[in-house]
Amino acid sequence: MECAFDAQNLISISLRKIQSSRTQRGGIKLHKNLLVTYVLRNARQFYMNKNFTQAQRTHHYEDVATVCEKQDYLELSGSFTELSDDFYCNFGGVESDTWHCGAHQPAEVAHQDAPACAMVSLGDSNLMGSDACWSCADKSAWELSAPNTHPNQKTVLDLDTHVVTTVTNGYFHSDCCAPAKQPQGAQGFGKKRRMDSSYHLVDPEFYLSDPVPCKRIRTEEDFHSDSEQLDTANISNLISVLGSGGLSEFMSWQHSDLEQIFAAQTMCLKQTLLSGSGWTRAIEAF
Amino acid sequence: MKCFSRYLPYLFRPPSTILSSTCHTEADIISTVEFNSSGELLATGDKGGRVVVFQREQEVSHGRGNPAASAFRLGRETILFIEVTIASCPNSCFSSGQSKSQPQRRGEYNVYSTFQSHEPEFDYLKSLEIEEKINKIRWLPQQNAAYFLLSTNDKTVKLWKISERDKRPEGYNLKDEDGRIRDPSTITSLRVPVLQPMDLMVEATARRVFSNAHTYHINSISVNSDLQTYISTDDLRVNLWNLEITDRSFNIVDIKPSNMEELTEVITSAEFHPQQCHTFAYSSSKGSIRLCDMRQTALCDKHCKYFEEPEDPSTRSFFSEIISSISDVKFSHSGRYLMTRDYLTVKVWDLHMENKPLETYQVHDYLRGKLCSLYENDCIFDKFECVWNGSDSVIMTGSYNNFFRMFDRNTKRDVTLEASRENSKPRAILKPRKVCVGGKRRKDEISVDSLDFSKKILHTTWHPQENIIAVAATNNLYIFQDKVN
Repeated sequence: MECAFDAQNLISISLRKIQSSRTQRGGIKLHKNLLVTYVLRNARQFYMNKNFTQAQRTHHYEDVATVCEKQDYLELSGSFTELSDDFYCNFGGVESDTWHCGAHQPAEVAHQDAPACAMVSLGDSNLMGSDACWSCADKSAWELSAPNTHPNQKTVLDLDTHVVTTVTNGYFHSDCCAPAKQPQGAQGFGKKRRMDSSYHLVDPEFYLSDPVPCKRIRTEEDFHSDSEQLDTANISNLISVLGSGGLSEFMSWQHSDLEQIFAAQTMCLKQTLLSGSGWTRAIEAF
Repeated sequence: MKCFSRYLPYLFRPPSTILSSTCHTEADIISTVEFNSSGELLATGDKGGRVVVFQREQEVSHGRGNPAASAFRLGRETILFIEVTIASCPNSCFSSGQSKSQPQRRGEYNVYSTFQSHEPEFDYLKSLEIEEKINKIRWLPQQNAAYFLLSTNDKTVKLWKISERDKRPEGYNLKDEDGRIRDPSTITSLRVPVLQPMDLMVEATARRVFSNAHTYHINSISVNSDLQTYISTDDLRVNLWNLEITDRSFNIVDIKPSNMEELTEVITSAEFHPQQCHTFAYSSSKGSIRLCDMRQTALCDKHCKYFEEPEDPSTRSFFSEIISSISDVKFSHSGRYLMTRDYLTVKVWDLHMENKPLETYQVHDYLRGKLCSLYENDCIFDKFECVWNGSDSVIMTGSYNNFFRMFDRNTKRDVTLEASRENSKPRAILKPRKVCVGGKRRKDEISVDSLDFSKKILHTTWHPQENIIAVAATNNLYIFQDKVN
């Protein structure tokens, strides 16, 4: 079985394939995209299994995280519904940001350990409306507990430092400098499922029924043309720049200037890295 | 003399572009090949939307004759018609078997007709370009002097009539031979026009256009044995058409889920049973085949037979789903068996046994360890086809490096052959090739790492009665024939 780095590599390649399939002649090939998503799922499963076993070895593991990871592991299955559920954890119905605090680890370690799931969700264009992109999350645990009364708040557990951080409105309470993001609302849960349906598969018939996705697609394509300039092989960089919850913002800000958003997040990344908090794995809990 | 004006632009290209097989345009890549039911005609379709039909010249000569390799360089195509003896071929199907006194049949295939079947289109509603690439060609059995075939691209199926004209009427009263209208006052007598022989002209006309029935990309068409209907299949639906009616079709299979999130498989190919006009089979991307009976219900979402082999957990990998996706399904001529092709194997199924295939043949198992790089370069998505020979005793499929494989079902022997110009000389014995999977490489073997994955044989076809095969290697078509001595 391929090692974790291969899984990461596969995820990166798969996302590139999905992205390039949107611009190829003849339209999106449903069959090929379906197969690519199977590879994504398999790579993600492998990656998360590896994370799970690694996490088990550590002593400072948060109970919540343990339970949730385990739960999440058991939940892994093949249907796209579940797959998309795993990726989109916040169901407060309100747009919220997920900006993950970096831990104090050097970048090269970081990108090796960056959660595959986040990469997956970011690369896809129809992810809109989904709020969080971290699948490793404690979704089930939080579902059991009281619903999140602060929809704009997220709790982030860093897997490496095991520091629990709370993120509110895109601002870390610790050290990151995410720009102010107004929650747009409205784009949230109600539309989530429909958007999710396009996560892996762009359904031509879906376009006909709802003109909005067409707009989103175009927006996303613009976005991706920017992202192509990045080193997409470096998962953690990509995550950092895009912001794991950033895509949901793009969704709501259909008319916003993507360049500005991109630039803002890039700035934030640079500041984060310069401040010594490199990028690493994190689990977002709600 | 047949008119090949279509090729004129190509004939004036500098030789290097014609001769070099690496320097071809995307449009010249052959995307489908198919013999008609008598084997007299061979049709090829390419990515540029063109169809070229070859006709066999019936030549019966006594004695040895003059074996030769005819090479037609008609611009984009090099058609090599080679008589070869294939040594060590399974079942000796391509080796000498007849006595010298028997007459030899050595008909060559010449270009008979060529026409532009599909043009690129643009779907303005979805802002999508529709490729003109011919995905499939299927012949209709001949019922009169003309030939009919169905050709399809991603969205539209067309019925083409190919007919010959070798006579034309002469001696009109109202117009002269140039076509100019005569002044009626100059006509003093009347005559009856007569048909005079002319140079043979082969015309192709589009008789029917079946469009606007598929949202997804059409991957296959299949003519029913009733000769009145056919099915066209896209990723999620199978539609039944009447050949005479173009403005409507019946949807007989629809696997599109109400919520696209729940989509887990697509239809990859479908074919009618060769004898039973109510039975058809379709394969899926999950490696299963469903046999449906149209008499049961109008919508054949429920299958009457389901063929699937359980996955071997020991071979599980990231790419298990991709390599189990079936790329082609073909009924045997007898109608008793089904053959399926997935990425690494060919399987023969008995229609009476659903839980596992009757036979499994490894096409290129040495690629199992290379799936990651094949995924990266997209080769893992290649859709190989498979064919039966006329007697259902041998099956054939393509591979990489211009290799193609034949498996004899009776003797269980198999052979790997190569379609290349270097190896195809007159009276050449087509030498079996071998891929070295590890250890010491022998002299004639080729190692897995040296395989050229850009040279792939996806499309092959076998003459319905004789041992003549046509193999499409990118933009070249090779026709091999059993050599009789």
